[in-house]
Amino acid sequence: MSDLFSPEMLSFIAAALRSSTPVLLVVLGETLTQRVGVINLGVEGQMLVGAITGFAVTLASGSPTLGLLAGMFAATLLSAVHALLSLYFGANQIASGLAVLILGAGLSAFYGIPYVGEKISGFGSMAGVPLLGPLLGQLSVSVLIALLLTPLIGVWLYTTRTGLAWRAVGESTESARAMGINPLLIQWLGVLVGGLLSGLAGAALSVDYTSNWIENISSGRGLVAVGLVIVARWNPYLALPAALLYGGSEALYLRMQTWGVGVSPYLLSTLPYVIPLSVLVVTSGRLRQRGGGMPEGLKAVFKGS
Amino acid sequence: MKGLAAIVQHSSSRGALSALLFTLACLGFFWLNGHQPVALFREMVLGAFGDGYALSETLVKATPILFCALAVALPARLGLISVGGDGQLYFGALTGTAVILALGDLSAPVMLPLMLLGAAAGGALWGALAGALRARIEVNETISTLLLNYIAVLLVDYAVHGPWKDQSNLGWPATSPFPAGAILPTFFDTRVHLGLLLAVIAAVLLYIFASRSRWGLGLTLLRSNQRVGRGAGINYPLNVLLVMGIGGALAGLAGIAEASVIQGRLQGGLSAGYGISGFLVAWLAGQKFLLIIPLAVLMGGLQASADSLQLFAQMPSSSAVILQGILFAIVLAVGGRWRERMVP
Amino acid sequence: MKNLFITITAALLAALCGQAIAATKVGYIYVGPRNDFGYNYAQDQGRIYLEENLPGVATVSFENIPENADVERVMERMIRSGVTVLFPTSYGYLDNALKVASKYPEVTFMHSGGFKLAPNLGTYFAGIDEAMYLAGVTAGAASKTGKLGFLAAHPIPQVLRNINAFTRGAQRVNPAITTTVVWTGTWSDPAKESEAANSLIDSGADVITGHVDSPITYTRVAEKRGVFSVGYHADASKFAPEGWLVGAIWNWGPMMVNIVKSVEDGSWISGHIRGGLKTGDSILSAYGPSVSSETQDQVAALQAEILTGAFNIWQGPILAQDGSEKAATGAVLSGTGLEGMDFLVQGVVGQVK
Repeated sequence: MSDLFSPEMLSFIAAALRSSTPVLLVVLGETLTQRVGVINLGVEGQMLVGAITGFAVTLASGSPTLGLLAGMFAATLLSAVHALLSLYFGANQIASGLAVLILGAGLSAFYGIPYVGEKISGFGSMAGVPLLGPLLGQLSVSVLIALLLTPLIGVWLYTTRTGLAWRAVGESTESARAMGINPLLIQWLGVLVGGLLSGLAGAALSVDYTSNWIENISSGRGLVAVGLVIVARWNPYLALPAALLYGGSEALYLRMQTWGVGVSPYLLSTLPYVIPLSVLVVTSGRLRQRGGGMPEGLKAVFKGS
Repeated sequence: MKGLAAIVQHSSSRGALSALLFTLACLGFFWLNGHQPVALFREMVLGAFGDGYALSETLVKATPILFCALAVALPARLGLISVGGDGQLYFGALTGTAVILALGDLSAPVMLPLMLLGAAAGGALWGALAGALRARIEVNETISTLLLNYIAVLLVDYAVHGPWKDQSNLGWPATSPFPAGAILPTFFDTRVHLGLLLAVIAAVLLYIFASRSRWGLGLTLLRSNQRVGRGAGINYPLNVLLVMGIGGALAGLAGIAEASVIQGRLQGGLSAGYGISGFLVAWLAGQKFLLIIPLAVLMGGLQASADSLQLFAQMPSSSAVILQGILFAIVLAVGGRWRERMVP
Repeated sequence: MKNLFITITAALLAALCGQAIAATKVGYIYVGPRNDFGYNYAQDQGRIYLEENLPGVATVSFENIPENADVERVMERMIRSGVTVLFPTSYGYLDNALKVASKYPEVTFMHSGGFKLAPNLGTYFAGIDEAMYLAGVTAGAASKTGKLGFLAAHPIPQVLRNINAFTRGAQRVNPAITTTVVWTGTWSDPAKESEAANSLIDSGADVITGHVDSPITYTRVAEKRGVFSVGYHADASKFAPEGWLVGAIWNWGPMMVNIVKSVEDGSWISGHIRGGLKTGDSILSAYGPSVSSETQDQVAALQAEILTGAFNIWQGPILAQDGSEKAATGAVLSGTGLEGMDFLVQGVVGQVK
């Protein structure tokens, strides 16, 4: 037991949580998007737009809170492009997501140029909090937000009427309509909420986690998060362990090098991708019996034209 | 909207409308950024197709995109969405290079087929891996190919930083230069290489086999209804492996061609986003093999012409990325299924 | 015919911009974004310095050109648009530059850090290792735990050279000191850099430095965690007002001006130009508040010895991690021994491959 709470273990847990946070926020948002039957690969581009907007607004206003909010707003706007293309114009969702990804990557790099090398101040340290100080001091505000959002979204999705409506839309728009629900409205909301959370993830990355902006700061974390949604079986509660697979292995392979482990860093750095894939493979047997856990509406995307 | 929907019933008018909207978007973007829109747009077009040199470089750029687009379009025949072009490209380059390093100095007629086979086998393995996971245990192929992309890139990094590093190149992370026998032939004193010819042949063959043969019909049947297809005696898992494997093999050829002709050795940064460009092209072409050929050339031209933006207008490289995103969004919007809603 | 076309195009363009045709048009190619606050940024600062300090020179630059199909095309396009001096600034462009150089003998190529030459292709580089050595001395004096942390992107010679120089500098002050290296495997990923810096600090390091694109992330993390930082590439002192010790910084401008001047007056000949601390191409930044005047004096004395040539930072004995001797006592590592460095010295914890 004492090992579990040794300073080394505590700092590793903190590192894993920090690494996981941007991914976790995207997984949560994308879970909701996919739960209404829409997949959005554009989250990567939305993260980038959220990151630069958050950084720029924090720099201008001096308020990291305002920065996070602005990042969420900008990414939501970009996600509306995905909703427009896929829900209104009826374009293929995978393709539309990639269009949004490219747009977001281009726009953030283009408008981000004057912000490289600028200094912003993120949130203060939480080390002074009684009792939990030793752990909280190593975490940051966005980690706590993500950890709080996880159960909130789970409870909302599984126990509330609106949560039920969202799940119904994802399973079958026809039967949802029969229940008196407007499926198109809920699908739009699903995409926009996914955009909101991806923007929070991006702004958390630039404003809170690194206090830095650089072209392509998300480095593929958004795309990986889309994969982790499937690892988490579209279940918000499982989003945390799924995100920890990525963040934990990233923190682990960087730490292993400080222990003097004699393995190529390039091979070690495949861990954040190999481990989620392995989990997907190992758990697939049980998944299959339950129809994969994929929302029915989403299956149509993968079978569609 | 209804009138518009009626207009875009025909694919040619959809193309024309997309081109018009994209041109307007480019002009608007240049104007917004304080450049002479028409002059700059003209430079872009000239940069892609203006003279023999521009055209040759457009084709150089189009070659890996064409391969990667085919690697997306074939699995799509079975309803599979693969985003694994880049991973298969890198892994094919890795195994193709392994063949070269193992065989050493051989004459081109011996080396080239073996090298291409090695690369195709590697790409096929990487594609079929995702195919097997899909066919046997229903792991979503979009996600597995996505994750496999990252892994393949890192494996190439590992090889060129580690066991394959050229000791005589001041420790730069790359293999030794390939022997002369392992360089694909090029045409007319340009960098256009045999890979382009192979890619076009592959596209035509795929068109013939996947659209005109019993096998192709079987794929269509399986895609629309797995149960019926299986009832007709068509093996679903085998066909998933086949389409993913053949697609991967083609992307693998793109990888070794880039390493051989363009870089002359294996090193990181092999692909300039060819996987994702290929995906876009496949989608723009509606997964039609023959249509993919000209669209890959257009996409190659767009990317090569982006030089003009940095050269003549000192715009950052991201401006070309924005334009690509806009183009793709326009084509998706114009070509979407909304018109079915408007015109019953 | 082709020349006529180029002339007309250039004239039209110049008329369009309302400028006279510049005497020399200089082209730059960067492997990453020109505003990465790192390697490419430093080169681009050199370009800006050149444009500001050499009248009649115009520059054009391409960013984000990795070592793939784009490099040669971009070089050709620049040349066709009238560029007569080219700076391909990434080591990986060497073969491409040689190929294009043989096609355009009238264009002068200056490749960054290469070891091959052509009649119209020379190379330029500056050792920044001496500045890193002096920074290492500063770090060694500041460290209380005897552990330094080095965050590095890829194990290529330039990076290994900096790790070794930094470590040897620190060992001069404290022979038992160790440097732990964490490889991120990428030139730019701030989240990973943040975690790498944290893992180094958690393992006991109390001075953090690095060789990735931008020094911003790790100096920020070090400041937040209350440990010291040593910068690299560009001055990041404003990100760590308390913990900043010193930084090793590029200063490419004057060298580039000299190169282009020599091309203009016809005195340029192909060769390897190598600068460093002596010639002012790499410099030591200002010190942070916590560096004692004692340390500053020690570094100043050493710097003077380096400048006069009385001291060489690569004087043997130099032992690799496995104990093998890379330079005997009295011998000095130089030339390709430095530019092709493929080992880490004793006292470094980390993998070379």
